[in-house]
Amino acid sequence: MTGILTDIQRMSLHDGPGIRTTIFCKGCPLRCDWCHNPECISPTVQTLFYPEKCIGCGQCNEGCYTGARVRCGETYVPEEVLRIVSEDVPYYGTDGGVTFSGGEPLAQAAFVQKCTDLLQQAGINVAIETSLFLYDEALLSRMQCVMADLKLFDEAQHIRYTGVSNRPILTHLRALDKLGVPILLRTPVIPGITGTEENLRAIAAFARSLNHLAEYRLLPYHPLGEEKRRALSLPPHPFAVPTAEEMKEYQRYAELC
Amino acid sequence: MLSYADRLAELRKTKIRHTLEKKEQNGYTDLDDFGTVPLPKDYQVTPWYNSENGSFYGLDGMSENFCRVLNAHPAYVDPMEMLCGRWRDMLVNYRGDLHYLPKWLKNRPGMRDFIEKGITNQWSRRWDEQRFPYDDLKAAQKKYNITSGIDGDAHFACDYRIGLSLGFGGLLQKIRDGRLEHPDKKDFYDAEETCVLAMLDFIDRHVKEIRRQIPEEPREELRDNLQEMLSTCLAVRTDPPKTFRQACQWVAFFNCFARIYTRDGAGFQLDGLLYPYYERDRENGILDDETAKFLLANLLLIDPHYYQVSGVDANDRDMTNRLSYLILQAAEAINISCNLTVRVHPNCDPAFLDFAVRCLVRNKNGYPRFCNDEALTQGYMRCGVDKATARERIAVGCNWMCVPGREFPMNDTVKINIAKVLEVALEEMRGHPEKSTSLLFSLFCKHLQAAVETVARGVELHLDHIAEVTPELIMNLQFHGALEKGEDASRCAELYTVGVDGAGLGTVADSFSAMECRIEQEKVLTFDELYQALDNDFADARIKAMLQSAPRYCGGNTLGDTWAKKLTTAFTEAVRQQKMTGTRQLLPGWFSWARTVEYGSAVGATPNGRKAGEPISHGANPNPHFRQDGAVTAQSNGIAAVQCGYGNTAPLQLEFDPCTDNEEEAVSFVTRLIQGHFSKGGTLININVLDKETLLAANKDPSLYPDLVVRVTGFTAYFASLSPAFRQLVVDRFLSGSR
Repeated sequence: MTGILTDIQRMSLHDGPGIRTTIFCKGCPLRCDWCHNPECISPTVQTLFYPEKCIGCGQCNEGCYTGARVRCGETYVPEEVLRIVSEDVPYYGTDGGVTFSGGEPLAQAAFVQKCTDLLQQAGINVAIETSLFLYDEALLSRMQCVMADLKLFDEAQHIRYTGVSNRPILTHLRALDKLGVPILLRTPVIPGITGTEENLRAIAAFARSLNHLAEYRLLPYHPLGEEKRRALSLPPHPFAVPTAEEMKEYQRYAELC
Repeated sequence: MLSYADRLAELRKTKIRHTLEKKEQNGYTDLDDFGTVPLPKDYQVTPWYNSENGSFYGLDGMSENFCRVLNAHPAYVDPMEMLCGRWRDMLVNYRGDLHYLPKWLKNRPGMRDFIEKGITNQWSRRWDEQRFPYDDLKAAQKKYNITSGIDGDAHFACDYRIGLSLGFGGLLQKIRDGRLEHPDKKDFYDAEETCVLAMLDFIDRHVKEIRRQIPEEPREELRDNLQEMLSTCLAVRTDPPKTFRQACQWVAFFNCFARIYTRDGAGFQLDGLLYPYYERDRENGILDDETAKFLLANLLLIDPHYYQVSGVDANDRDMTNRLSYLILQAAEAINISCNLTVRVHPNCDPAFLDFAVRCLVRNKNGYPRFCNDEALTQGYMRCGVDKATARERIAVGCNWMCVPGREFPMNDTVKINIAKVLEVALEEMRGHPEKSTSLLFSLFCKHLQAAVETVARGVELHLDHIAEVTPELIMNLQFHGALEKGEDASRCAELYTVGVDGAGLGTVADSFSAMECRIEQEKVLTFDELYQALDNDFADARIKAMLQSAPRYCGGNTLGDTWAKKLTTAFTEAVRQQKMTGTRQLLPGWFSWARTVEYGSAVGATPNGRKAGEPISHGANPNPHFRQDGAVTAQSNGIAAVQCGYGNTAPLQLEFDPCTDNEEEAVSFVTRLIQGHFSKGGTLININVLDKETLLAANKDPSLYPDLVVRVTGFTAYFASLSPAFRQLVVDRFLSGSR
């Protein structure tokens, strides 16, 4: 069994509790315009091109060593994932561990399931970052926590900006809540789109209805994905970056109580 | 009424002013701050040269010139402080040692001429080459870019228990008794006596200056303080210190003397040695914690020596005490450049480790740093010493440990640039018809052995004759057996475990990895093409990129990591198998101190894609940009795997931004890094926790950040005082947690 990954990133400090190793799965059913990992959308191997690193040697087909052409997407077996992850076990403490992210890890549920078997047998915590557009109760019930995005509460808006309906996501969130797994709900804040009073209040109200919500957090949009979009020859799609003042305002809308 | 906080704030202001003035006087100094204060305009020393080569050596040369430099030092009394005394200049400056010579002295009339005529390829006139030549070693030293340690710094440590129990008067008496007992060592005791008498004069000058200031001081609380300072100086002039304040003042004076002599000396187990004074004064109701904290801050201000705190004793019992906390609080309060090391052991109170990490995270000035008791003790015991002795071997230098008053380790003064050794091996392989990394490695090992042999002969020469060149007249006072036998510390030490550091591990490991990967595994390059690229300094950018992008050391179980381990084994074996005279033995470690720029300038292009003259990798650290995600844990694992294992270190040098405003979170990250690294066998962590934005802004315009303290290697320094090359070195090492 294999999975396709874009990166195994060590010493991740913001992908769940404690020090973590984040495994970026390639392939996602959503098409969020603001995606900061656009290289994780397609489930196939791609080449990213960074022209500023090109030295014009004309030998692209014989291998690029400057970082101008970067192959994105490598096949891994679960045992290899465990081997790499094991190197950082001494740093995890009691709360750190592994986070499957992406892309959409649930799009490679069998692979993630097998990895989770191996990791948990080795005593390593496993968490997941997912859109919850897909759902796998057996897998999700084993997670230390689930980090899920709820981007837009209005279905039409959700379809417009992510390419899919949010109904499955809301259904899955409620189902997940019944499993008792801690849920860390997040909304990426794109001013004027997800960052509206109406949207944030609606999501916060929904979040309040969850019994196992551990946290609801707003994540300010950052344009890191734009460079990768260029490298993937995708048209630029920048959004306004919310200011600190704006974030304070959004935070007020998103208060849970 | 001035509070302690008010006074500390004033002291900090004075310190910033001194830092800027020193930069004006000395130019950039890629060194420890040392706690020096600027020189007065009328400062003048006329050295006495007793050698035909225009330098001074031996008992008479060193004692006479110590007196001249010490006597030229004005008293330093600041009514804001509770302690007095500072050093500003040192003897070795007058031997033309370019490496340390400050700008103000270089520019003195006649000095430039002296330097230009006197300079040799290494320590200039610090060593008496007329009497103890080593011309036979120079070719090999140059060939392998060896820092030989011949008249290197006095990198060993005093046992302050000796001085604190005897006082200067007791030491003087011991000298006089020794002279009676060993009339044949009269010259030795005369020289020691001359030095101690000059020390007493120095204290007397402070007494005089304090007396002068008392009636002029308008603020009553400071007048009282000066009165107390006067009583303290009078009390410690000859008698052993009895109170906490007296003990601190005694240490402050002694440190000034050791520094003026050779810039050296070393700290001690600060919370251990001072604790009895603290406890007694507390019991007697004459000391509160706030006063103790101010005194400790004052002591650290006077000299940012390497002090160790916490750790366990010979019976594995936790030595952490109330003073351990107060020392860190004092450092936090004064917030200057300090070199405090926390010794970490599973038996130590975890609350103290948490507290120490909190200080590091909160203050972001590079201290405390952390050493691993278990790995260091176990390692040193492999040299044949007992556990109690191994436990006494404490962190008192940049990368180094020492058993105070018993060991003469020459630590951090002996180095082999293994990037240069690789260059020599590559040159030898050039004409060989069957080139391979395996052949190159065997040639490398052969030359490494030759380099170690050269080092060993230099060490023997140094140990045989340093007492005749630079006798340790000051540190002898607190060295077991020296005054008793009339012998220099270099001759009466119980332990001669001499450190030999390899430098350039990352450069060489990455070079071997690049060759194996690109030439032997992938066959996208040939050795002939590699030689051509090295010869033309990578005129072909593609070949450079090809080699640079090969798997690197600290990439995480990469080919580079495999080579680094192989090189460590080879280096350790070469050093440990080297035969030495008597009980002398060599101890391997990886450390380059601040010489990466200098060493790099001596090495041509290397197969890791490094261009000729560029800096070599730092200490045991990987080359910058060793991993896309810059993973701190991969670096931590990589360095833990290249420990030589005999009690000397291969430090993890880390510049780290935890990318969080949450102190609890940052403390947790750093604590786990420390525990993770040590659980894997790491020995020492020199860590800067800082904001990337601040560092980059300070690098752009250092003058805007005159009080930004960073850990350069083992030592901390003011960022603004560093040369642009060294500032860049710190910036290039910077890593952050992945967002």
